[in-house]
Amino acid sequence: MGSISLNGINKSFGSTEVLKDINLDIKDGEFLILIGPSGCGKSTLMNLIAGLEDLTGGEIIIDDKDVSEESPKDRDIAMVFQSYALYPTMNVARNICFGLEMSKMPKNEQEVILKKVSSLLQIDHLLDRKPGQLSGGQRQRVAMGRALARSPKVFLFDEPLSNLDAKLRVEMRTEIKKLHQRIGTTIVYVTHDQIEAMTLADRIAVLKDGELQQVGTPYEIYNDPVSHFVADFMGSPGMNFIECIVKDEKLIIESGGEKYELEMPCKDVIKNSKLDVVLLGIRPEMLTEIQPSVEKNSYIHQIKFDVDVLEPMGADTVAIGQWNESEVMARLSPESGNAAGKGFDLQVDTSKAILFDPNSGLRIR
Amino acid sequence: MNKFNLLNINFGRAAIYFILFLFAFIYLAPLYVMFTTSLKDIEEIRSGNLMALPIDPTLYAWKKAWASACTGSECKGLAPYFWNSVRIVFPAVIISTILGAFNGYALAKWKFKGSEFLFGALLFGCFIPFQVILLPMAKLLGALGLANTVTGLVLVHVIYGIAFTTLFFRNYYVGIPTELVKAAKLDGASFLKIFRHIFIPLSTPIFVVTIIWQFTQIWNDFLFGVVYSGSGTQPITVALNNLVNTSVGGKEYNVDMAAAIIAALPTLIVYIIAGKYFVRGLTAGAVKG
Repeated sequence: MGSISLNGINKSFGSTEVLKDINLDIKDGEFLILIGPSGCGKSTLMNLIAGLEDLTGGEIIIDDKDVSEESPKDRDIAMVFQSYALYPTMNVARNICFGLEMSKMPKNEQEVILKKVSSLLQIDHLLDRKPGQLSGGQRQRVAMGRALARSPKVFLFDEPLSNLDAKLRVEMRTEIKKLHQRIGTTIVYVTHDQIEAMTLADRIAVLKDGELQQVGTPYEIYNDPVSHFVADFMGSPGMNFIECIVKDEKLIIESGGEKYELEMPCKDVIKNSKLDVVLLGIRPEMLTEIQPSVEKNSYIHQIKFDVDVLEPMGADTVAIGQWNESEVMARLSPESGNAAGKGFDLQVDTSKAILFDPNSGLRIR
Repeated sequence: MNKFNLLNINFGRAAIYFILFLFAFIYLAPLYVMFTTSLKDIEEIRSGNLMALPIDPTLYAWKKAWASACTGSECKGLAPYFWNSVRIVFPAVIISTILGAFNGYALAKWKFKGSEFLFGALLFGCFIPFQVILLPMAKLLGALGLANTVTGLVLVHVIYGIAFTTLFFRNYYVGIPTELVKAAKLDGASFLKIFRHIFIPLSTPIFVVTIIWQFTQIWNDFLFGVVYSGSGTQPITVALNNLVNTSVGGKEYNVDMAAAIIAALPTLIVYIIAGKYFVRGLTAGAVKG
């Protein structure tokens, strides 16, 4: 078991409010990702859950027990740090067993756990080495092994992959996901990498300036963001945002020297908002070359597009141009044969487009 | 590359070496004179050249300095005072180093309200001159009944040393990642266990630095020694002063020189054994995790 309830969490350092009234329920066995830009308070929230910092207000409940005042060791939580924080003078085996040693577990039981953990993480051959003799990926494994050995109620991961190189990061990401599937323990995972968040999470909690912006499944966060901030934060390449004038519940855009009226799925919303200008949010994958196979409907538009820059990414090619003098990215097939500086016809699907109030940045719905 | 070219290119380097050797020579010349003089007999010193090697080396002066030279009214040589110094230095170094390690660990990794102020106040202790505390300390030792005792001198050196040892350890421990403490806390380790299992094993370089520093300071101390010791508890520095200033008959330079070398020998040996750690420890940065 390992459910966590955060009720009205506040944290201040002196007069700076770092976290403001955080309310969040994490279910047993859930993989929850805390994401946000640097300084949004996500690591502080993690330290609060671990008990490494004191709450200014609110309460933390783990498995129906209020642990707000308890010391870290009594919370039955293990943490993997960004820097791994392996004990530099101890070998790998002792690093993994240190927590067990502290809880006065007999040596032979420690051995059993050490064997299990090290074979699970494939670090059997490293047990006699010191952390200084390990590569980044190996250290990462040992750090996870140390957390696993105590079989705690909750795992906390504080940006565990950000010190690894790109390839290893992807590998370890998959391993963490596999590990979670195998052991099923609750994981709270802090990152600022939206791809990690999308791929790993059962649910994502987006933080900004110490406030929870949105909590939801990766699908909800990606397709149904509550604000410009959340929409902008998730997705790579990021969502396109274009300020558009509203005319007869349609949006006017100018592209390739011509004006177009875009039909939106949310006509009532536009009408009810009574705004003359809205912020259109549309993902790059909704902007493609003409695809004859797609059934025509009122949300499929054909628009002239002048390409300023082409960025081939292998699987697809990102074309960057302008709508209403804002930068717009379209996701094309690499075989489309377009070249920078040339125009072509773009297919725009507005069925998943969303609208924001340009002043508040909040979703219009 | 021929020799001529090498010289040309490395003229600057040669100049640097020349200057280094010159200064080394200037610095070592007195030691040479002390050492050769200590091996000569008094006749040879009077008649011979200061820089000349001894014609007929003898250990007479060393034996006398160690065992029978007069230091004031007593004539037992430096030996009893050497052991006095040992009895002062060892406990004082060990206690002040251990206290400094504890203080430094607490101040670096267990910040509490006012810990920065406390550290600042302790640091202030490094800048208090010996002379300022002479009288109050004398009163304190008197009140504690420790005047003129070895224990009293140990206490003085421990108190005076804590400021330095704390500074050394605190600055060293600040460089050790705090995440280690967090990880150990989550592993269930207490304040003392974290210190013992994680910090102490990382501390060899700074222990060496602190021990050398404290050993040198306390062994070489003269002022506290002369003020707070009684006739039987004088450290070697005070005894050396007395020995040199006591003249029975003519001045025995060879004995003076041997005595001075004996007094300086322990610190010299400490530097030779642990000197490389000293340099390494002073420049040691963060510990990679």
